[in-house]
Amino acid sequence: MKRFRRQFFLGMFALITATVGALWLHVKFSQALPDYAFLTGWILFAAMLGLTFFNARKKLPFLSLGRAETWLQIHIYLGFFTVALFLIHLNFRGPHGWFEVTLAWLFALVSASGVVGLVFSRTLPRRLAARGGEAIFEKIPVLRHALKTEAENLALGADAKSPVIAEFYTKRLAAFFAGPKNLWLHFVESRRPLNALAAELDDLRRFANDAEREKIAKLATLVRQKDGLDYHRSLQLALKLWLFVHIPLTYGLLVFTALHVVLVFGFSGGAR
Amino acid sequence: MPAAPTILERPQRWDAAFDAGMTDTDVGRLLATAPFSEMDAEKFPKRTPLREILRNDTRILKFRKGEIIVRQGDYGTSAFLILKGASRVVLKPDLAPSLLGRQAPGKKGVFRTLAQLWNGSRPPEIFSRSQLRQAAGLGARQTKNEVRVFLQDLPRVLNEHRTERMTAGDLFGEIAALSRMPRTATIFADSDDAELFEIRWQGLRDLMKYDDALRAHINKIYRERALASYLRATPMFQHLTEEQLERVAAQIEFATYGDYDWSGEYKRLAQAGTVRPEKEPVIVQEGDYPNGAVLLRAGFARLSQKFGGGERTLNYIGAGQIFGLQEIAHNWRTPDAPVNSQFTLRAIGYAHLLIVPTRVMEEIVLPSLPKDELPAPIEVAQDERDSPPAAENGVREKVGAEVLEFLTENRFFNGTASMVIDLDRCTRCDDCVRACASTHDNNPRFLRHGPAAGSLMVANACMHCADPVCMIGCPTGAIHRESFAGQVVINPDTCIGCKACFNNCPYDAIRMVEIRDANGEFMVDQEMKPIAKATKCDLCVENHGGPACERACPHGALSRLNLNNLDALAKWLKL
Repeated sequence: MKRFRRQFFLGMFALITATVGALWLHVKFSQALPDYAFLTGWILFAAMLGLTFFNARKKLPFLSLGRAETWLQIHIYLGFFTVALFLIHLNFRGPHGWFEVTLAWLFALVSASGVVGLVFSRTLPRRLAARGGEAIFEKIPVLRHALKTEAENLALGADAKSPVIAEFYTKRLAAFFAGPKNLWLHFVESRRPLNALAAELDDLRRFANDAEREKIAKLATLVRQKDGLDYHRSLQLALKLWLFVHIPLTYGLLVFTALHVVLVFGFSGGAR
Repeated sequence: MPAAPTILERPQRWDAAFDAGMTDTDVGRLLATAPFSEMDAEKFPKRTPLREILRNDTRILKFRKGEIIVRQGDYGTSAFLILKGASRVVLKPDLAPSLLGRQAPGKKGVFRTLAQLWNGSRPPEIFSRSQLRQAAGLGARQTKNEVRVFLQDLPRVLNEHRTERMTAGDLFGEIAALSRMPRTATIFADSDDAELFEIRWQGLRDLMKYDDALRAHINKIYRERALASYLRATPMFQHLTEEQLERVAAQIEFATYGDYDWSGEYKRLAQAGTVRPEKEPVIVQEGDYPNGAVLLRAGFARLSQKFGGGERTLNYIGAGQIFGLQEIAHNWRTPDAPVNSQFTLRAIGYAHLLIVPTRVMEEIVLPSLPKDELPAPIEVAQDERDSPPAAENGVREKVGAEVLEFLTENRFFNGTASMVIDLDRCTRCDDCVRACASTHDNNPRFLRHGPAAGSLMVANACMHCADPVCMIGCPTGAIHRESFAGQVVINPDTCIGCKACFNNCPYDAIRMVEIRDANGEFMVDQEMKPIAKATKCDLCVENHGGPACERACPHGALSRLNLNNLDALAKWLKL
């Protein structure tokens, strides 16, 4: 963890230094400089553009633009610093009018989704690795279908011959194997649905003969595998979905920011 | 009632002959030709008679003038004897890469790099007609079962390169076949009636075993051509004088354990989930007297120690490493308290060894070593030993027992640039896959998936193996190393889609892809069958800045590591 810890301390040091420095400059010059709002606005805009360049870097992997890891570190700490810049630009006051309120909300949502993404990126991979049964997200439906077919053959196939298992499958397991289940419960690390199914399968053993018990054991294994797939789907989906919020909102923010610049210059008689 | 066992004939060594078309007449002809006519057939055991070796482990090939027989840098497991006609070996300078079917090493220029900006939406693997033609100076012709590549402008080659003619009775390729080293020179046919006898390494090994003259001849060549320079480059012999080095070289013994064709067998066992260390051939048994220092010239070996009822892996060693030095040095310094081998050494796949007898070590090598280069004495515990010495234990602890077993079982130590992923940090974002696709004709050259141990995953990407079995048998030389010990790359222009590399790769890291024309339509041959090419990771050898996958990972979760070096892995795991 040495490198990552070093990255963290370096980033935090830079962030705190830059933030304290910016606040000191704010206190010292906010009243003294006539175009202070313009100055902080342009700095904020430059910082926001700098943040979006990370996405551009991702799209140009064949150019020698440095490691994406370095870019992400800069993106994270510059992102936090941009929040400080934003507050300085607002002079620690609330926004006025629907346009500014919308702009502020967009900024807040982009920042919040970024923080959510950071938390997800740092916590969910560990949970996935600890659970095991690694699966590529796009292949999960195929794997799920294979499990469903196997379970169906076991319970309802031509040589199944067990009304006990067939009934249980139709009533309880068919829906479970049919599609993804327990999205939220997996996300909050709840094992309740799996434990409930396992208990019911265990209970079913009381009505089964030796051959049926063997099948029940196999079904229990398939249930665990399917639950594992659902778990992977839930967490991997979360790891992907936050970007579907963060990136479109970023584009919206950039458009509103550009309009904001035009409006400010339009109503202030141009740059002074 | 238990199911009845499946009864079948026990598989035999010669179930798959090298060439099923070898006839009695061919074998008879060979037996009448030197050196086989001079061999004493009585010396061969009944299970492996000379006649059957010649029938099953050899084949007769005919070449026309200019056709390439072996290429410099290729890996091969067979040797050749000229029966008729002549061949030529290229001495200096080496043939240009394009004449060997390879791409010239180099990076993409500015324009090719920038062109990737607007190629992103193209269908994958687009080729132009001109790309599919052989490079200038090379031609190809289809024989019965294989493709032969020939040098078109032979007079020019002869004019610009120093070559040497070889005629009937000359043997070549034996060192590469026996030691699994790359071929050191390119050889092509120098007459239209060139007829060559090719023998695979198993047959050559047996001939050497039972024919003293051949063994002496090949060992002499080995010592003269390959051994002296190798020993000079080995640190243990750095302090020897030329005369001492010659004495050591003269007494070194050669040995090969395991099977050079390990990849096929491994693939089968891995698929069945029955890879077992105890099936690996033992080179040195723990507790035996150390007969010599073992230098691993090629291949890999597992270092293990008894633990409970089984054995635990402590480390694996690869080419250039030495086993047994510590015990021999200990016994030399403290003859009153000798120790036996501390570990068991087993060949994984295959291991080609040089064994320096203990007597030679004690008389010549050890006295030449400065004190600080001698290994530390072995501390033998009073009670029964239950833990390995600190050095070996350290390796095991650095990466963890589970990871060490995992790497060994899956033979990942073969990889010099394996794609390792830390699952604790990987967000499964696939930025690595997209980066790979962007840099390679929109066709990602790896799968972000593979076997895992704990949070360490080795993804399904070409590992650029130390022992690249994929390079054996490529008819056009399209798959090659970019430099002497560099990345294994495929020249798409000369790849004919024969699947030799695809079938050979034990890690399934090569994929056959169907190519398209500029309109995105699949290219087909006259029989309307799609034309395919072998593709795999090339470590972005043409791109500036290194592998795109590694540079594209925003979380530092992916790295290309030499798994032969556990220190690098340990360091990465502790990032």
